[in-house]
Amino acid sequence: MELATPLAMELRVFEEHRNEWSQTHPGKYVVIRGETVLETFFEEYADAFRAGLEKFGASRSFLVKQIWRDEPVYFIA
Amino acid sequence: MHTFQVNWNPFDPADPGPCIKVIVANTDDTIEAGRAVGLEYPPAQVVTALIDTGSPFTIVSRVFARNRGLFLTNAAIPIRVIGGECRCDEYCGSVSFPDSNLPRIQTMRILAADFNREAFFSCLIGRDILKNWDIRFEGRAGRVSIKA
Repeated sequence: MELATPLAMELRVFEEHRNEWSQTHPGKYVVIRGETVLETFFEEYADAFRAGLEKFGASRSFLVKQIWRDEPVYFIA
Repeated sequence: MHTFQVNWNPFDPADPGPCIKVIVANTDDTIEAGRAVGLEYPPAQVVTALIDTGSPFTIVSRVFARNRGLFLTNAAIPIRVIGGECRCDEYCGSVSFPDSNLPRIQTMRILAADFNREAFFSCLIGRDILKNWDIRFEGRAGRVSIKA
């Protein structure tokens, strides 16, 4: 089923694992496409993206997300 | 060491601040992988970016990100701004500086937000890029010197 919000399915998968991953891999980056999660967690965003590109290709977006228990909200001035 | 200077008028409230020309595009890896499956990408477009020490991230306008076909990697990220909160999308891209010899940033995350009624620039160069540079703001001289 196509979801209206971009990466909605991937974000749902992330939320299902947030508590677990925030304890085992805090601050690391995870890569998700659909319901498929890359087994490796990454220190750097660029490394996570390259791994996602290698695994999933460029035909459709995938989620690259840093793992925090509470989502930080940054300030922009 | 690469050096570059930009000018602005800090005594003119209408001056947007120190700006630099940039090219924000997909990474080389993305383009290669995309072309392998038949995707096409628009030619590079030079835009004006504001050097913004107040932003932790580099941000482009949402319209620009979509038009350039940047690769989406996150969505609906909450950001606080003066007077409220907004949601940004996140793309992976590269940033280069065509009028200078400043080194290109090959792969980085780039946020995208609505630049409402902004006439001067369509990109903010945030601290994620500035952290790689030595910058000197010379207010009275109206000059910003960058070393990278």
